[in-house]
Amino acid sequence: MVPEPQTRISKRALVVWRITGVITSLFSWIVGGALVTLGVLFDWPVWMIIALIILILIFSYLFTFFFPKLRWKRWRYEVREQEIEIQRGVFIMKRTLIPMVRVQHVDTQQGPLLRKYQLSTVMISTAATVHEIPALEMDEAEELRRSISRLARVADEDV
Amino acid sequence: MSDPKRLHPIAAMINMLRQLKELIVPILFFTVVGSRGNENVFYFIAVGVGLVLVLLTGILSWYRFTYRVEEGELRIEHGLFVRKKRYIPFERIQSLDITEGILQRPFGLVKVKVETAGGSKTENAEAVLTAIRKEEASQIHDFLVSVKNSKRRDEFEEEAVPIQESIIYRLSFGDLLLLASTSGGVGVVISAIVAFFFQFEEIIPYEKVYKEVEHFIANGVIFVSIVVFLGFLLAWVISVLGTMVKYANFTLKKVDQDLIITRGLLEKRQMTIPLKRIQAIRISENVLRQPFGRGSVYIESAGGSALNEEGSKVLVLPLIKKQDIAKTLEPFLEEYPFKSNFHTLPPRALTRYLGRGVVIVIPVAVVISYFFKPWGYVSLLFILASLIWSALKYKDAGWAIDKDFLVLRYRTFVKNTVLMRKEKIQSLTARKSFYQNKKRLATIEAVVKSGHSGSGGRVKDLEDKDVINIYQWYSRDAHH
Repeated sequence: MVPEPQTRISKRALVVWRITGVITSLFSWIVGGALVTLGVLFDWPVWMIIALIILILIFSYLFTFFFPKLRWKRWRYEVREQEIEIQRGVFIMKRTLIPMVRVQHVDTQQGPLLRKYQLSTVMISTAATVHEIPALEMDEAEELRRSISRLARVADEDV
Repeated sequence: MSDPKRLHPIAAMINMLRQLKELIVPILFFTVVGSRGNENVFYFIAVGVGLVLVLLTGILSWYRFTYRVEEGELRIEHGLFVRKKRYIPFERIQSLDITEGILQRPFGLVKVKVETAGGSKTENAEAVLTAIRKEEASQIHDFLVSVKNSKRRDEFEEEAVPIQESIIYRLSFGDLLLLASTSGGVGVVISAIVAFFFQFEEIIPYEKVYKEVEHFIANGVIFVSIVVFLGFLLAWVISVLGTMVKYANFTLKKVDQDLIITRGLLEKRQMTIPLKRIQAIRISENVLRQPFGRGSVYIESAGGSALNEEGSKVLVLPLIKKQDIAKTLEPFLEEYPFKSNFHTLPPRALTRYLGRGVVIVIPVAVVISYFFKPWGYVSLLFILASLIWSALKYKDAGWAIDKDFLVLRYRTFVKNTVLMRKEKIQSLTARKSFYQNKKRLATIEAVVKSGHSGSGGRVKDLEDKDVINIYQWYSRDAHH
């Protein structure tokens, strides 16, 4: 396609996503552990139990290593004079254009995990849609918020 | 028009009736419970007091409610205990929605709903004058028009500009009938299917087949299907009548810079859509109307509050011959490209369309066939239906760029053609899955504002070069 947007999000996002991945896999361990126990108690065929364990391992690997990595690699954005471009997606590559004139307001947002790693998420709202750039360095996010609202104010059109 | 005015007294009654409607359950409860015991006198008193209270508050709040036009504002003051004032500058008014209700009509009154620019999701986005005389409503309307005009014109020019009014479209009786009878959508289809099976009932000699044992059940089946069929028929007739009453006398006019819709038999409604607020135009072709070569046209508008969803997607041409759409609307919605050259999808997209439909239907059909032999095999017909439907989706999908407009065409159940001006598109997204990428296909999605949320269009599996073209057409920074 056309050249990709240039700016990447913070490398620390990877850490945050891995932690989230670990939490997600913990659930799979709990459910999987319960199933394995049941299997041992009720004499399920051995291959079933082994398959189950392999499945859980694959699941954990995907959510803690593979997906965050791929997601981070794909995540790019670019703020230009008249528009913002965002690219993301693990299975499906999505690229979105948001013209500055359509931006209504910009917010930054930060959960506990993001705060710990000094990151924050920027949310760009138009009259009909909301777009998110996750996990930027805090000053970078603040700077982005400021520059978008400056550029958006310059271009003042009716809805 | 600067003296404070009250609404017509009938407004008090309308408000009381509305309150009574809300109170009807508690009152019924009280009377039922009350009539059982010995203390029924007490309950009747309670109900009586309640009624009197409703009556009093109705009259008092009517008495307290005044409105006036002052200093270019519509000023409303109301409130029983707490005095509330709402001053609405005329420039802020988005539209006046004038309704002639059944109760207002005998007195030559109308209900006026004033809609201001959305934003807030509360009811604060609007003010309602429940019952005022028609002349006053039109005075307010004229005043609104003149305020908006004077804003546009040079401020020194004092004389009123003659208002230009032209009728764009009127719904004929024949079309009204067709509109009403095809608007049930699914209902029509279901009753048609039931009717179809009902006929089978007569061809297949059920009673001979199940002669002895199943005789009773067979009778039951016939009886049930008759009842179900009649039920659907009745629902359909009711919906037909409802639609006819709602859309009778449908007229679309252009007055100055607004589109005005009037419609309704018992309750006359008038809706105003400022041309400026139009975000997109949507042409919908229902499967049932396609054989008649007819479709409907909607306008996606930025107006309308959260409470009034009707204000955001407005049906402007309920039923119209397809080839007449351009002729009818072109003079009024200049620039909109009603006839553009569509690019369709490449043949290699067809398998993806067919696959997407079948992937859901086949497992379902297989399961049904397996568990409900032999009749379950009928469900295999769904696969055929899904293939036909997917092929239709493929055939109808397409896109066009015409100067400043993006036109997307796609089918869900109805075929949609959405015309969007570049300026009004809020965001544009291109997407590509792994498998799409392999086939050099991509999906495009454009979002426009519609009321408080988004609407727009999404077309799957375009040639990826085309998606890049659309993407670059929309991009404002020439970086590529």
